Amino acid sequence: MKKHPRTGVYICECGHNIGGVVDVKKVTEYAKTLPPVVVARYNKYTCSELGQSSIAKDIRDHKLERVVVASCSPSLHEHIFQKVLEGSGLNPYLFEMVNIREQCSWVHHNEPEKATEKAKDLVRAAVMRATLLEPLEKPTKSVEKSALVIGGGIGGISAALYLANNGVKTYLVEKEPSIGGHMAMLDKTFPTLDCSLCILSPRMVEVRQNPNIELLANSDVVEISGSVGDFRVKIKKRPRFVDPDKCVACGACSAKCPTKVKDDFNFGFSERKAIYIPFPQAVPNCYLIDKNNCLYLNKGVCRICEKTCERKAIDFNQKEEVIELKAGAIVVATGFDLFDASEKKQYGYKCYPNVISNLDFERLINASGPTDGKLKRPSDGKSPQSVAFIQCVGSRDKNTASYCSRVCCMITVKQALLIKEKYPETEVFVYYTDMRTPGKNFEEFYEKARSKGVVFIRGKPGEITESAESRLRILAEDIDSGILLDNEIDLVVLAAGLRPPKELRDLAQKLHASLSPDGFLAEAHPKLHPTETNIDGVFLAGCVQFPKDIPDTVATAGNAAAGVLNLLNKDRIEAESITAWVDIKKCSGCGSCILVCPYDAISLDEDGKAVVDEIVCKGCGSCVATCLSGAIQQRHYTDKQLISQLKALLKDGKV
Amino acid sequence: MKAISSNKKTELDTTFRSRVIEHLGGENLGACFQCGTCSASCPIQLIDERYNPRKIIRRALLGSKDVLSEDFIWLCVNCYSCYERCPQDVRVTEVINAIKNLAVEDGIVHPSLVKLIEVLKERGTTYEVGKLENQKRERLGLPIIDKKSDDIKKILDKK
Amino acid sequence: MRYAFFIGCTTPVRALNYELSTRKVAEKLGVELVDVPEFSCCGFPLKALSDERALAIAVNNLAIAEEKGLDVCTVCSACASFLTEANRQFKENKAFRKIAENILKELGRTYSGKVVVKHFARVLYEDVGIEKIRKNIKKPLALNVAVHYGCHYLKPSRIYKKFDDPEAPKTLDELVAVTGAKSVDYGKKKQCCGGGILGINEQIALTLSKEKLDDVKNSKADAMVLICPFCSIMYDVNQRKIESNFETEYRIPVLYYPQLLGLALGLKKEELSFDINRVKVDSLLERLK
Repeated sequence: MKKHPRTGVYICECGHNIGGVVDVKKVTEYAKTLPPVVVARYNKYTCSELGQSSIAKDIRDHKLERVVVASCSPSLHEHIFQKVLEGSGLNPYLFEMVNIREQCSWVHHNEPEKATEKAKDLVRAAVMRATLLEPLEKPTKSVEKSALVIGGGIGGISAALYLANNGVKTYLVEKEPSIGGHMAMLDKTFPTLDCSLCILSPRMVEVRQNPNIELLANSDVVEISGSVGDFRVKIKKRPRFVDPDKCVACGACSAKCPTKVKDDFNFGFSERKAIYIPFPQAVPNCYLIDKNNCLYLNKGVCRICEKTCERKAIDFNQKEEVIELKAGAIVVATGFDLFDASEKKQYGYKCYPNVISNLDFERLINASGPTDGKLKRPSDGKSPQSVAFIQCVGSRDKNTASYCSRVCCMITVKQALLIKEKYPETEVFVYYTDMRTPGKNFEEFYEKARSKGVVFIRGKPGEITESAESRLRILAEDIDSGILLDNEIDLVVLAAGLRPPKELRDLAQKLHASLSPDGFLAEAHPKLHPTETNIDGVFLAGCVQFPKDIPDTVATAGNAAAGVLNLLNKDRIEAESITAWVDIKKCSGCGSCILVCPYDAISLDEDGKAVVDEIVCKGCGSCVATCLSGAIQQRHYTDKQLISQLKALLKDGKV
Repeated sequence: MKAISSNKKTELDTTFRSRVIEHLGGENLGACFQCGTCSASCPIQLIDERYNPRKIIRRALLGSKDVLSEDFIWLCVNCYSCYERCPQDVRVTEVINAIKNLAVEDGIVHPSLVKLIEVLKERGTTYEVGKLENQKRERLGLPIIDKKSDDIKKILDKK
Repeated sequence: MRYAFFIGCTTPVRALNYELSTRKVAEKLGVELVDVPEFSCCGFPLKALSDERALAIAVNNLAIAEEKGLDVCTVCSACASFLTEANRQFKENKAFRKIAENILKELGRTYSGKVVVKHFARVLYEDVGIEKIRKNIKKPLALNVAVHYGCHYLKPSRIYKKFDDPEAPKTLDELVAVTGAKSVDYGKKKQCCGGGILGINEQIALTLSKEKLDDVKNSKADAMVLICPFCSIMYDVNQRKIESNFETEYRIPVLYYPQLLGLALGLKKEELSFDINRVKVDSLLERLK
């Protein structure tokens, strides 16, 4: 008779979560009948102090060699129990956790008898697998003392400054030619009505001046490999055709440039030249040439900018640069895209000239915008006598995005107040479904708007139609009074919602990070780990996780930076122990494993056999599943261990 | 819960709300958050303000069972504008139709429906195709129609 | 392109011009419309009585078509939407499917959900295609027309897998454009005809139609073009009544799309039976000569 290792089994009731469906007493009695089991208990909360110490005591008293806990998902508490083993002198990998909650009691809550039988089967399989577990050592790896921040809006800027001021070499990558993000487009911020660029600009300058920050603007992240502590990133820097070391942003080139293009920064309400600076306070404070519209780059003629520039800063030979860097941790702060309101055809965006979006409005009311801050109707440049805001455009709408974009109510209240401040005679209406103004000083801000005469109408319009002189007709029920309202308005502002940035899907794939069902980047835990992702070493900040306002973006950026510092301040971090290894006798050198490894952990040695870098390997198992020769095995999940588990599961109760 | 207003005191019945939700078409009633898009899009509401789809849905949500005896519930023209624009996929047209069906179940049948049912059971189509009609058809070279269908009678009479 | 021809209740009695022109245009363009005498009313008028039974009536019609191995082509928009919705409910709503199958069993039928339902205008747009129609145009029409889509041809868009956009529809405008006629824009283009409540409240129904006719009049279109017999009852048959109830004048000819297309395809006037159109079309036809 084979001598089994002495095994302890602990069945958890988890309050009612498991105990309310599975008969833990029966499962415990059953466990006692399994040959390797010398002690079996059930408790209400095994992860508690009491539960943990009872395991520790049993390890001592019963000289246990294996421990099996049947409770919730290992992703929650496996590490806690592994620590209990370690504390009692047992190797933590001699521990097996069985999920009888998410995979049993929670999904079979309508069939308690069958759930109990299933729990028994799962415990039996785990006990038999545990007999084949082997002790493993936890390797450690060094940590690259640098960080990569992707996205240069207020979130990315805050995270980068926080890190840099703590001595961390930080790479800040931004796709646009200047950092600043959406905040640089705003006029004022709620609820203080601070001038947006006035509070942002000093931080942008700090970024430029900080010796620990290397700013890579006009750049894209092309490739990410490696893992926590040693990410390897490839960045592509697109050419500006202007030398930033020479350019002083005097603007002489732009004045002479003959090509006019619609200015994207002002959403097409004004024009810029083919050589331009996105906005005066841009960082880097350097001009750039729009290669799609430059006469020289497309047709080989002109070059007036080159002739005009006294500092000889124009360089048409500038090429794309590929930069390879290493980072110990990554912060994703790529912000949001505004919902394209033309998807809601009934509101006439991009169809009727006097229907604009909330961001369009920010540019129009901005003193450095296309109309010098004067509110003008796009159709005739006249000042509107009446303005109507429509809330929840694209948000809280199962046809487009069912979530609430959180900030649009406050943005509208702000914009309504700005109108009343500059044009007290202009009528302002807000058509809303709910006014959401939680937050410090937000309710007072809303009250201010009401007392200044902004008319809030609870009632969403069905459609907007155009009438004479490009005025807009809005029909909506004023629900609070039950009166149907027919309004003719000079300018309509659609409060468009916030959507995940369109490049996010691609970036998430490069990071192996998950997206939430709403399309935003998924946090590791919505309550307790709001700035971590499911990938070690990858953090998130700002709207890339979900719409939020500036203070929340800055707060999450700080939290993410703290997470990075936590990591980078360690001399060594634990590497994965459940790594893959190659039996070179079986390896044919086909290289399939190399192709599937997401971490670039496998290479071919001088004999043409695959070898796994165990420090880099994250134990995902892709290579193990791919290997056609069965030459790669994964520690803690060897074929033998898995097969014994399957056999026990299928043996119908007999072991 | 009671509804207290100037001229009537009615008992609100939450089982009525469930009745609507359990009826074919009424499934998504609970999603409504009273934004008013349906009323704003309704062509009938502009002509007869007594017909207000949002209010009808509201009464169903509150369990105001007496909505079944209101004469205006029959005014929905089935244009589907509300259904199309509703941000919560309530399927307003179908919910209001479910309310009409519940009225019928409670014995309130609009008179126009009574004659219709008779006619459809008898011949299977709403208009009669008699000798005169067939003569017109023949003159135009169209095939004559002489078959009646009793499928509708069978379907309506089935328990 | 072979379809079971679902003529519905109204067309074969009150819109013979629509039926005739449809058959002639179909013949010209290679669409075979097979008559199925077993069809009953689609069930839509009984929806207010019992959605369940009405949809079962619709499913029964689909089962009849499936027995004959045919997809269904309708000329009435309400039939199109109701049969399409019945198909969808049958396939997606388990509870309804069970009820429908029980009812079908009593009638000795089964249905497996395979039948495709299309309005004739959609058959022209998708199966025949604009280009093939264009090749067959003999006499491009110099006309301004006000296109009336009606409601059930477009909505609810989800049951039609968003084949056209109710907020900015274009398929019918394109079908009109290929005849050479110009589709004019007018205010209440998306408005319902009101036909659904003609029997419930005539005044409201006629008011809805009147609003549309006012806008069509202002647009100075030569005619209205539509694809549903009930819309035609409102705008054509009842035009006089609206004129007298509201003390106004229109004299706007109302054509069925196949009549318009038929003209452009070079079909003879007699094959399009304009004499049945209530508002006289004579002066319009004169202008086209």
